[in-house]
Amino acid sequence: MIVGIKNASKLIVISIIACCAVLVCTMFLNFYFDVRLIESEITSELSMVFYNAQVSTAKVVCFVSGGCLLLTAVVMLLFYIKHYIDTHKKELGILKALGYSNIKIAKSFWAFGISTFIGTAIGYAGAFFIMPWFYELQNEDKMLPEITLNFHPSILFYFVVLPTVCFSALSVYYAWYKLKKPVLLLLKDNLQVVSKPPKHRTEKNRELSFIEDLKRSTLKSKKTLVFFIVFASFCFSAMTQMSFSMKDLSSEMMGVMMLVIGLVLAFTTLFLAITTVINGNTKTIAMMRVFGYSQKECCRAILGGYRPLSYIGFIIGTVYQYGLLRLMVDIVFKDMESVPAYKFDVSVMPISLIAFIAIYEILMYIYSEKIKKISIKEIMIE
Amino acid sequence: MIKVRDILKSYGNGESRFQVLKGVSLDIEDNDFVVILGASGSGKSTFLNVISGLERPDSGKVFYDGKDITALSDNEVTLFRKANVGFIFQQYYLLPNMNVDKNVKMGADLADNKDYKTVIEAVGLGEKLHKYPSELSGGEQQRVSIARALAKRPRILFLDEPTGALDEETGRQVLDYICKLQKEYDFTIILVTHNLNIAEMANTVIKMNSGKISEIYTNETKKTAYEIGW
Ligand SMILES: Nc1ncnc2c1ncn2[C@@H]1O[C@H](COP(=O)(O)OP(=O)(O)OP(=O)(O)O)[C@@H](O)[C@H]1O
Ligand SMILES: [Mg+2]
Repeated sequence: MIVGIKNASKLIVISIIACCAVLVCTMFLNFYFDVRLIESEITSELSMVFYNAQVSTAKVVCFVSGGCLLLTAVVMLLFYIKHYIDTHKKELGILKALGYSNIKIAKSFWAFGISTFIGTAIGYAGAFFIMPWFYELQNEDKMLPEITLNFHPSILFYFVVLPTVCFSALSVYYAWYKLKKPVLLLLKDNLQVVSKPPKHRTEKNRELSFIEDLKRSTLKSKKTLVFFIVFASFCFSAMTQMSFSMKDLSSEMMGVMMLVIGLVLAFTTLFLAITTVINGNTKTIAMMRVFGYSQKECCRAILGGYRPLSYIGFIIGTVYQYGLLRLMVDIVFKDMESVPAYKFDVSVMPISLIAFIAIYEILMYIYSEKIKKISIKEIMIE
Repeated sequence: MIKVRDILKSYGNGESRFQVLKGVSLDIEDNDFVVILGASGSGKSTFLNVISGLERPDSGKVFYDGKDITALSDNEVTLFRKANVGFIFQQYYLLPNMNVDKNVKMGADLADNKDYKTVIEAVGLGEKLHKYPSELSGGEQQRVSIARALAKRPRILFLDEPTGALDEETGRQVLDYICKLQKEYDFTIILVTHNLNIAEMANTVIKMNSGKISEIYTNETKKTAYEIGW
């Protein structure tokens, strides 16, 4: 099996993402199903109003947090799997060269399914662990009859079984698709630049210093990472800001939950992306250090290009969360008398931005220390 | 002039401690061509890394024109390397995502060398400016790494098994380029190898044996790469 124990630890990222998404979605969806069951038991008018409000809130949260989280998780997992297989194409190539059949190698990638399963299962179990307390909280004022916690097999199927099967199948398929390429292409270090004709550059471009050039080519050579970085800041921005708005629209607890999950997602992605950038450029950094480039210059060349992208991600996230909430409030609360007022929260944005900058720069600092430790010895041993 | 004094260097600690360099002292004249010979594991690469400022010795000193580089801080050593040394390794270590021109520019920028293209031409790669390393043969890649090292106008060029991954003919070509360029640009060469033939090209030959210098001699007549005929 290609995905060995050492690599499996990297797959934890997948489990974490899957776990977060499933935890939230299961909780709200389960609540939504259960609260619908008590509709017939409601007698008083007042309770009915409260019931409607509860159903609407559950719907909002299901759509907004659950849906957006789930979508996020799916997109991230797809990219992660693609990236993982892309960076392991050398191993694929070696096995292929040794005479293993494509299908046999590709099959070993079903391990992605395991990590998805572990994540979703923990998320699902965790949701059931929290739910009694969550149900209690939702019906604090005893306006509604007792909401009993029921087990809905369909949720288990859609959130645990289906993702596991889908991600396994997808990984195997993608690995198999990669394997259709000739062995030599898999083994070569950088097939993406081979046979590209030299571009016609303007005189201005030619004047770029080596550091600037390297910055550009680092960005260009791994487009998935660009996506990851934009995505991480997008996540951070959207989730933190949304969590404050959620506090007003539904409950405090949901706000906190969104915040935690947004942070976990953003961190895992950012961590993953930057680690990949550094690992992918160890040789380059080591050589630059040997030749006498300073630690600062190495950082600027390898990591500097991502900074503007992360700000772009932050802006997109801000716009996105506003648009999404606006839309949800308009649609979901359409028929209700007391539509909660939703306005763009001007004070939250700067707080979120400052927190983001602080976290980003701290991470960069940590990684620049890591860069400092890279020595020529390391790459010579390889 | 490089003066090396009583270098000790070991790896690991406790039981697994292994003394690689056991007191090495040496003087190297400016513009000399020095070859360091020795069996695998005798500590040649470690010695090269220590005198070039890539690694710190446990004790001992390395003087460049009277200045001790082992006493410098990390940043100062980096600046020292930037200003003085060039490196060529067996594995080339070119930057895979950049073409020949950019790879050489990496060295040139450090010395603010605007006219580095002449060096690329001097190693015979003028036609291949826009090729990527994966599109070049091993010999061509090594020539790129020579151009990269020389484009930064080093005072000392360190080479660790520069021909180790090349066939005889290509290796000879590469060495020939290096000798030719030494005449043109004036720099000191310190080359590590276990190929005895290459030693005949040098002025000074240093033999290392398990962490010590066992013999130093000077060649009366320096041979060219083509005369050694290995
Ligand atoms: N980072 C390290 N940690 C532990 N031991 C090391 C380290 N680097 C080198 N050594 C040991 O030091 C000894 C000398 O290594 P060195 O690379 O200097 O040898 P060499 O003469 O260059 O050999 P070769 O001709 O094979 O390149 C070897 O026995 C090696 O195992
Ligand atoms: Mg060696």
